[in-house]
Amino acid sequence: MDLDLIKKLVKIVDASGVTDLEIEENGMKVKIAKKIRNTHVVTQAQIPFPTAQPVMHQASSKTDETTKPVKEAEQLPTNLHEIRSPIVGTFYRSPAPDADSYVQIGSEVSSGSVLCIVEAMKLMNEIESDVSGKIVKILVENGKPVEYNQPLFLIELT
Amino acid sequence: MFNKILIANRGEIALRIIRTCKELGIKTVAVYSEADKDSLHVTFADEAVCIGPPFGKDSYLKIPAIISAAQVTGADAIHPGYGFLAENANFSEICLESGLKFIGPSPEMIKAMGDKAFAKDTMKKNEVPVIPGSDGVIEDIEEAKILANEIGYPVIIKASAGGGGKGMRIVWEEAEFQKAFQTASTEAEAAFANGAVYIEKFIENPRHIEIQIMGDQHGNVYHYGERDCSIQRRHQKLLEESPSPAVDEDLRNRMGDAAVKGAHSVNYEGAGTIEFLLDKHKNFYFMEMNTRIQVEHPVTEIVYDVDLVRQQIIVAYGEKIETKPRKPNGHAIEFRINAEDPEHNFRPSPGKITSLHFPGGFGVRNDSHIYQSYSIPPYYDSLIAKLIVWGRNREHAIMRGKRALNEFIIEGIKTTIPFHLKVLEDERFKSGNFDTSFLEKF
Repeated sequence: MDLDLIKKLVKIVDASGVTDLEIEENGMKVKIAKKIRNTHVVTQAQIPFPTAQPVMHQASSKTDETTKPVKEAEQLPTNLHEIRSPIVGTFYRSPAPDADSYVQIGSEVSSGSVLCIVEAMKLMNEIESDVSGKIVKILVENGKPVEYNQPLFLIELT
Repeated sequence: MFNKILIANRGEIALRIIRTCKELGIKTVAVYSEADKDSLHVTFADEAVCIGPPFGKDSYLKIPAIISAAQVTGADAIHPGYGFLAENANFSEICLESGLKFIGPSPEMIKAMGDKAFAKDTMKKNEVPVIPGSDGVIEDIEEAKILANEIGYPVIIKASAGGGGKGMRIVWEEAEFQKAFQTASTEAEAAFANGAVYIEKFIENPRHIEIQIMGDQHGNVYHYGERDCSIQRRHQKLLEESPSPAVDEDLRNRMGDAAVKGAHSVNYEGAGTIEFLLDKHKNFYFMEMNTRIQVEHPVTEIVYDVDLVRQQIIVAYGEKIETKPRKPNGHAIEFRINAEDPEHNFRPSPGKITSLHFPGGFGVRNDSHIYQSYSIPPYYDSLIAKLIVWGRNREHAIMRGKRALNEFIIEGIKTTIPFHLKVLEDERFKSGNFDTSFLEKF
């Protein structure tokens, strides 16, 4: 395993707009995927950077060494996608108390659309969708607290 | 009294804090990482908030997640336990700014005692004996030599920027000094890109004796005697006891008074521990101060009949210390039960506990978060239980410890229970004549 090559590949993926890169050579397969999951835009300049995570498979072996921090979801139909909170805080449907909600049931959203705000330590974090589709369920009431990884919305993928 | 306390920790200490909160009628909030969703502290608390993925830096060390959890649950105070953020001055400060009472000392106090040079200086000013040594780094080799002669051999040359034994040389006589100084410096330069060194008296095979202190906001500072924590492996404590077999009443008073004086001079608030080294001539030297509750606090609680976590909470609320110290009663020993295999170099042994039976009976205390069929997550330290026994005297405590350890059944993983049983059979341990080199010779 050429660690230097892997490092170079990770750098390339990280620095570019490429999100998935898969290389197979001499029985060794390397897959590098950049996860941009629910990045939240913070009003004060603190933007979490998406990090490239190298995932290595040996073509002959069946074991998958990846550790996924995401809770095992109850079996959702494959066309439904859960949006989960990346932080602990308070859930708000709209940017301000008297403003319109970001989304309703039935709203069409695309990757990057802001769905809601989770307020933490007086900072309003905008939670964006990572998929395109239609909002079919809103799982939390306005103004209620949410914990890490708590499901917020169900989106029907288009 | 506080209405609701958030416990910013996990495992046995989280449970410990929750128990005292319940006795004080205070509501509790547990925070947990995804790896701890089946943990006992989550079940015991009134409310629980998931704050992040398994790794400590993403959960128990993530200040915004913890503060946010306190805010959404309406907690008015945070108890940091030990480890994690317990001695993080930044966290103490953010709590203050967020209107949450940090159950522990102020950010300034944490910073002050965390600065080793400052802590040593403060103790020195209060006539607390400190390890004789150079005032900070020493560059001139001739100056160093003169100082070494003043201190008296053996001396130890240590890298200022370092640790882990690198850039360290013990010098037994003057003739070796020059060479040792030069090699230590070179090694430090190579390891830490900083060749600066300082020198200290080398205390051979010391005993590690620490004094428990408590201070309140009314200027009261008390000490609750000593704990002997000399049984260590790679600087990790394995077994602790109170009183120390090496400390008589006179020495206890002198060490205790020194500790109180030092703490008093900085208006210390909360629980704290002052660590000393005791040499074979019964001279004690200040080593460092820990500004938190410690793992081994139960041995002090039993022997002095004091709930130290309770004192922490009431003192943080602004009340005076409730339980004043008196003479120690009997002898207590704590055995740290780790999920480790003593037969294979103490390598970690996480996994599922298939069968569990805690020892019981007179004079036995268990502080633990494990239960039958619990799976120990691999992300955190390996401490799974603290078994504490009390006896009328040391011999009785040892006997009871043996009895209790033999009753303790934990199957499915390897633990250090067999190791502790061996220690209790050791003649040197039984005699009370041991020091921090005990395990090397074991």
